[in-house]
Amino acid sequence: MEQQSYGELSAVLHGRQNGQRVPLQVSVEVTRRCPLECQHCYNNLPMGDKEAKRRELTTEEHFRLLDELVEMGSFWLLYTGGEIFARKDFLKIYTYAKKKGFLITLFTNATMVTEQIADYLMEWPPFAIEVTLYGRTRETYEELTAIPGSYDRCLRGIKLLKERGLPLKLKTVATTINKHEVLAMRQFAEEELGVEFKTDGQINPRIDCSQSPLAVRLTPEEVVALDMSAPKGISEYRRLAKRDSENPPNLSHDDNMYFCGGGMNSFAINAYGEVGICVISQQETFSIRGAGVKAEWERSLLELRMQKRTRVTKCMQCRIQSLCGMCPANGELENGDRESPVDFLCHIAHLRAAVIGAEIPEHGECEFCAGGRQHEAVTESARRILSKEIDVESWVGPQHILPILNNVSVAAGGCGSCGNH
Amino acid sequence: MMKQEKLIRSQSVVARVVAGETLIVPVRAKVGDLASIYSFNGTGTLIWKLLESPHTVETLAEAVAGAYDVDMARAEKDVTDFVNEMKVVGLVQAPAAMAMAGD
Repeated sequence: MEQQSYGELSAVLHGRQNGQRVPLQVSVEVTRRCPLECQHCYNNLPMGDKEAKRRELTTEEHFRLLDELVEMGSFWLLYTGGEIFARKDFLKIYTYAKKKGFLITLFTNATMVTEQIADYLMEWPPFAIEVTLYGRTRETYEELTAIPGSYDRCLRGIKLLKERGLPLKLKTVATTINKHEVLAMRQFAEEELGVEFKTDGQINPRIDCSQSPLAVRLTPEEVVALDMSAPKGISEYRRLAKRDSENPPNLSHDDNMYFCGGGMNSFAINAYGEVGICVISQQETFSIRGAGVKAEWERSLLELRMQKRTRVTKCMQCRIQSLCGMCPANGELENGDRESPVDFLCHIAHLRAAVIGAEIPEHGECEFCAGGRQHEAVTESARRILSKEIDVESWVGPQHILPILNNVSVAAGGCGSCGNH
Repeated sequence: MMKQEKLIRSQSVVARVVAGETLIVPVRAKVGDLASIYSFNGTGTLIWKLLESPHTVETLAEAVAGAYDVDMARAEKDVTDFVNEMKVVGLVQAPAAMAMAGD
């Protein structure tokens, strides 16, 4: 009998795929309803949204979905929302999945975690629970979530999970509202709770095409300053850049539009039973209510995954792809076009490279490379970050002298693909 | 352990076949090490399949000796070692314990 850690097992199972299409990892969004109203969120809907609730997969539909996923060889399951515990039947669905032997990760904001839920999870432990923390003070947390009392409920939920020794991790989405508390959140997670902490500065437009989350998005300079302030930030990005330089990625060798694992070893199911490449790629999805998930995986998602590029972009010969978050889903959300490079992400990638001193080989017409319109701005930002002129530790919260200016609303725009504007 | 002691799979674990590998996944807090999962070779997989219903080391060893053309003494020793390992980490249990534990 061989006893294996999850990390070892993951490497073995992924290695065995040998290029075969097996959906080892599946993300299941159980609802888009959430008790919080975070401005940066890409999909949240009010708790009382009856139409959203009516459209959600039923408990029995979730059971059938899980039966099919076992048959398809899926093993890692992510339950996400909205807020997963906004569904009263979530533990029923979760228990069914546990009994099927999935390794389950839960994404939650912890505000709805009660003693009963925490006790139940202790009896049926998940593989991981990732709680998003939106601030280290009540004022900041609730400025972002817009719900009074939510900070205390979140901390209570975290405490209940931690007390029971559950596999807890904390994370945050850095925004203009909470950026000055990211270091305090890290300290709380790592030093007070002794759990892992990660930060994400990438905020997308909403999947209903609204650009409203971008009002609280950090600038590329702030995102990179925050990246580099993480304990292993610089060394990790140097490792990635070295890997890219030793084995240069070259998308022009592959004419498929998608180059990630989506549609190959993973996919996502939204709250309404529609499968797509990932949770944020929602322009093209396919309902499992007709033929079932296996049929859609084998037919519709395969066709989508095999779609060809229609043109050459600067991304195709870019050699710093590991420093960049660009993917067709981000292109879709930001530009309404899967193939259009996202300026925000391109800027961040070039700035990361400049800060760690990585060389950027020529890769077509790029405004952030030497000779480009934005190159000087990248160089200047790198200087400011390296000289600590931009110092994450000295960041302060939003100034409320003129409240109206702190409540900027971005003009409606979006991808134009859904007619929901 | 006694040769006549009957054992059965624990209800706190689930077997999955993923990418051709038989994996035993702890699902409830009763299993010793929830941070690990277990995989079996061919002989282990045979024994695991048999343990869907109560078996003794003797009946398991008979099946192994028959399937792999080894003598009974060797099969009994190997099965005893394997079953003891599984008992330590809580993958198998006595049928009576299972009935009492309920679900």
